[in-house]
Amino acid sequence: MADRRRVNGPGGITVPPIYEAEDLPLPDRSRQPNGIRAQYLKTGVTPSASGSAYLEIEPQNGSVSKGMKLTCTVHGPRSLPRSAPFSPHMVLSTHVKFAPFATRQRRGYLRDSSERDLSTHLETALRGALIADRWPKSGVDVIVTIIEGDQARQVAVEQGIEEWDMMNVLGGCITVAAAALADAGIDCVDTVSGGVAALVPGKDGEEPVMVLDPVPSEHEEILAACCVAYLPSRDEITNLWLKGSLSSDANLQRMLIARAVHASKGSSQAVAASLTEAALAG
Amino acid sequence: MAPTAGLTRATFAKLSPHPYLLANLEPSSDDVPPARSNGRAPNEVRPPTVNSSSLSHAHGSAVVRMGDTTVICGVRGETILTSNIPSFRASNNETELREYDLLVPNIELATGCAPQFLPGGPPTTLAQTLSTRIYSLLHSSKVINPDNLRIWHTGAEGMTANEDRMEDDAPDAIEGEKVVAAYWVLYIDIFFISFDGNPFDAAWAATMAALRDTKLPRAWYDADREMVISSRKESIPITITNIPIACTAVVFTGKETDRPSVDGKFWMLVDPDRLEESLCDESVTIVVDCKDGDTRILSISKHGGTVLTPTLLTSKQFLSWAGKRWEEFNLAIVQP
Repeated sequence: MADRRRVNGPGGITVPPIYEAEDLPLPDRSRQPNGIRAQYLKTGVTPSASGSAYLEIEPQNGSVSKGMKLTCTVHGPRSLPRSAPFSPHMVLSTHVKFAPFATRQRRGYLRDSSERDLSTHLETALRGALIADRWPKSGVDVIVTIIEGDQARQVAVEQGIEEWDMMNVLGGCITVAAAALADAGIDCVDTVSGGVAALVPGKDGEEPVMVLDPVPSEHEEILAACCVAYLPSRDEITNLWLKGSLSSDANLQRMLIARAVHASKGSSQAVAASLTEAALAG
Repeated sequence: MAPTAGLTRATFAKLSPHPYLLANLEPSSDDVPPARSNGRAPNEVRPPTVNSSSLSHAHGSAVVRMGDTTVICGVRGETILTSNIPSFRASNNETELREYDLLVPNIELATGCAPQFLPGGPPTTLAQTLSTRIYSLLHSSKVINPDNLRIWHTGAEGMTANEDRMEDDAPDAIEGEKVVAAYWVLYIDIFFISFDGNPFDAAWAATMAALRDTKLPRAWYDADREMVISSRKESIPITITNIPIACTAVVFTGKETDRPSVDGKFWMLVDPDRLEESLCDESVTIVVDCKDGDTRILSISKHGGTVLTPTLLTSKQFLSWAGKRWEEFNLAIVQP
């Protein structure tokens, strides 16, 4: 059943352009294993919201990665509707949405399961940082819109790596939402920031190596990846998402988490810099 | 005004917006020029800035900013085979765009761009209305040349035509003849990042800027695979020669709806912001194209209230505002 509240287009099937075969640029990572991509963060992009932020992760020159662009708005704290049951602390609701033009394949307007999944992860990440008891009986909405996603590869290949890509998107969502929460003046114990690390096979059959801020299309294969939401000044993790095939060696998992924390320290600097700049500007 | 009370201008504007706007438009002393709450003169607009080609996954894109209103528009082409269009007629080359529904504009407001637009529900009435207005204006203004969206196919010469004719659904039945095998469908998605009044002007300008930026890959019909193949290297820009621009004004009567009229006085506020839109019932939108010197009106729509008279709508003054707006926007869209 077509959604009659939107313009739906022709009744027949439309297909995204199918390109003639072409040599794809070989996956290659030009950054150091411990280097993250440059981030640009700006707060106050939506003046009518309580708080807002815009995050841009720079595209890589000569690489298949096209960078990422996200905006986040925060509305509240405001009183809950009368029908809502009593809540002794703030009710946080998060919403993550890809714009239809954000990915290689056009996305619909209805939220799909991966977007709901991201919302849930984001909610856990932020809940650990908020001091929710200060606002009883109130609610706050955090809305993240992904204007441009990272996926930039052939559709067939993309299907396999999409799940890895979600981690990068989540890392960006956490960072941008933390900046927007700070811009809204909602008390947090610390600004939370997201970071991603991955275990990839080494070159020429060498030992697997750990890289920070992995771009899935820059690697042939990703063995395991980890995304953390980290509070730098308290040294705490509020959300941890690790998947992939790791050997039972607990040390390896600990290492991967440590690398992800290291990556999140990099984005936390971007948050701090942009918030200081906003505070200085008035 | 009342420094002892310790209330700032912003607080006054929030507490009693109506009298505040009226006091600003009718200053008590003559040496203060009339202004709106936001400091603009009644016919002063917010200067637009346009930034195109900022998205890499879309075929065309633009960001338009007018004050605190920010809109991002992405255009993406997908193909549809003529055999999949139920009402397809090869002889039709006049009304293809509308009949086959090849333009699909949608506006999304539920990005938290203003406190009243939160996600979680169906599109709001405003979003639906705006989408429909953009949709009908795209068709009625004929800014897109249908030829840009046609994908041609020439029947293969070497093939035996008899075999080909057996399949009646194949669009390439006759040898050597050029037929339209498929069409591009343009998905035009308009996202509001920040909302501060006057959504239609901003959304329309973003649509025009994004369409002007759109480059579709060169595409051809592959008869063997029965699908459309696109080239990665070559792309063809859509030809947009005219860029019509919308200009919206609201009518402020100086009274709240339940109060008696103040001697029929009214003010027209061009390019309203969110506060002004909430105070005014009547609004007028005019879409003009001033290319080659003469002003051509593509559409006028007026809603609510009965203050604006036909004389006023066709007055030189009103048209000159629209003309100025057209120049401003065209400069911003064409320049970068």
